[in-house]
Amino acid sequence: MAVFADRYPDEAKVVRAALASSFLALLIGGAMGPLQTLHRIDYLRIMPSETYYTVLTLHGVALVILFTIFFLVGFYQWAITDSLDRPSEDIRVTWLWYGLMTAGAAMASIAILGGFTDATDISASVLFTFYAPLEAHWLFYAGLTTFIVGTWVAGADWFRSWWNWKKENKGEKTPLRTFMVLTTMLMWYLATIGVAAAVLLFLLPWSLGIIDSVNPLLTRTLFWYFGHPVVYFWLLPVYMIWYVILPQIAGGRLFSDALARIVFVLFLVLSVPVGIHHQYLDPGIAEGFKFLSASNTMFLLLPSLLTAFTVVASIEHGARQRGGEGYFRWLTALPWRNPAFTGMALAGLMFAAAGFSGMVNAGMNLNYLVHNTMWVPGHFHLTVGTAVALTIMAVTYWFLPRITGNPIFSMRLGLVQVLTWFVGMVLMSNAMHRVGVGGEPRRTADPFYDFEFEGVIGSIGELHLQIGIGAIILTLSLVLFFIHLIFSWFGISATTKITSEAPIRKPLSGKEHAPAVLENFRLWVAIAAVLIVLVYTIPIASIIAEGGLFGPDVSPVRPDHAPLFSLSGLATEWVVAGLAGAVGAIAAIAGVLR
Amino acid sequence: MATEQPAADQTDDIQREIGHDEYDPIGTLALVFIYFIIVSMLWIFVYFVEFLPRISPMVVF
Repeated sequence: MAVFADRYPDEAKVVRAALASSFLALLIGGAMGPLQTLHRIDYLRIMPSETYYTVLTLHGVALVILFTIFFLVGFYQWAITDSLDRPSEDIRVTWLWYGLMTAGAAMASIAILGGFTDATDISASVLFTFYAPLEAHWLFYAGLTTFIVGTWVAGADWFRSWWNWKKENKGEKTPLRTFMVLTTMLMWYLATIGVAAAVLLFLLPWSLGIIDSVNPLLTRTLFWYFGHPVVYFWLLPVYMIWYVILPQIAGGRLFSDALARIVFVLFLVLSVPVGIHHQYLDPGIAEGFKFLSASNTMFLLLPSLLTAFTVVASIEHGARQRGGEGYFRWLTALPWRNPAFTGMALAGLMFAAAGFSGMVNAGMNLNYLVHNTMWVPGHFHLTVGTAVALTIMAVTYWFLPRITGNPIFSMRLGLVQVLTWFVGMVLMSNAMHRVGVGGEPRRTADPFYDFEFEGVIGSIGELHLQIGIGAIILTLSLVLFFIHLIFSWFGISATTKITSEAPIRKPLSGKEHAPAVLENFRLWVAIAAVLIVLVYTIPIASIIAEGGLFGPDVSPVRPDHAPLFSLSGLATEWVVAGLAGAVGAIAAIAGVLR
Repeated sequence: MATEQPAADQTDDIQREIGHDEYDPIGTLALVFIYFIIVSMLWIFVYFVEFLPRISPMVVF
């Protein structure tokens, strides 16, 4: 079969553009990592502590919104085109959503970068969790809105392809990858209602001065309504990679198509009605509803454990086809020299550990012990920082030749890169969990105050050293990734061209065994909606009854900034805002024209 | 001009085809069992972390 870049050159262009945006965000967000880590543990302080929050916001937004979601849309475009075997319905629409997302990303990034200078009023040092009373410049909220509208159009674009495919293939079951894309996007539509309400009804009018006050608990609750399912928006493309590509690389076949579909349906149903588990310590939400979210969250372990079984069984199938034997010896028959395989396998291993720390977060009693401590960043550096990020980096070694037609520069260098990421994160994340148990708070530039934290095992100083070493190893891994990426992407020093690829092998138990009810998307969306109504109606009604729709009078908190550099002129704000809009418009127009 | 080659998928190393009915994932069972033991031990460890320290968020004297 000809390589994807040759079969669908127009779609491959969009995929490449989305991946380029994703990796640019990884570069910017990743560069902020060592700055803040070394500042926090007091090893290297090159910025004033006030600037820490701007750096932290850039790190969070660039990595968990831009890097992950740009990758998702690029990868899902490939999945839809390749699995339905049909081009985009209208490539201008495809470029339109990419243009919208790019414009939104540029606006939000400029708003955050404004926090580095005092020449402009623009700033958005509100962290990734951007709820009130922290207030950002309106450009930040407008940018995020534009970005999310872009993802909505992308979803509609993919649904349109599927509808047209169905008309031509009556009675056929939807291909697995398309099924995964559609369930993910349905979940995303339900999830983004919360953030759309928070931004459009409250935060954006508030930042523009149209309303004077907001109800902070209401915007928090609406944020977390979105803030938990967004983690599955990062995770589900990774699940697709583990289900579809990992068995392929291991030399095996997916164990069960039906199990994979059930997992995605469970995520559609259960992802949203759990957000209150981020608010166990918030006064103003009844304990009973917190408990309801806790039990829903525990149900979410089910699809993850199903995934652990199915994916490992599919890899084992590969190992046995490659001659593996015994209870454990088959592990040695796996292609460990392939960075795509090793990176994903290690990412999966870290995700198993993250499952445990996630259970601690989700349990109401244990959460009280770790809430707002470094345990929580330790947890999500295992999930989004490793399970997601390392899988994305690893799959790049498999995916890039298919969309560029250029071979991978060096598999050995790739192997070093994924291994260093794993080692760096084992050190950093483990130590972050442990200082968290010792009581060290999160979201602060100066976590020391005036008392000594006690480590359970080992001293806090020793754990800080581990965090610092881990962060430096991770930075080196990131540098390696980018050197390698540039060489591979542009085929620098390549003497060959990739012209053909093997089709994805059929699952052992195929889609003919999947129950037909799994394709009844209306049913699953209806069940998800009922669960959301049950979990959220009374808490939100009582929050509004207690504090009012626009809250008790809460003054906005605009964090102070100590600028790194200075631009002159008060009009800069308008120039920068105008430039952001212009960049966005040009990207959108360029997208449509191409 | 460059020569041409296929994208590697490790398919060359397959020594035998194993179908649905011949495949029994006992290695997966073994790994899942080990994970179960690790998670159980961690839960026991949590008891020592949360409940045994003299001052804990759950037990206020």
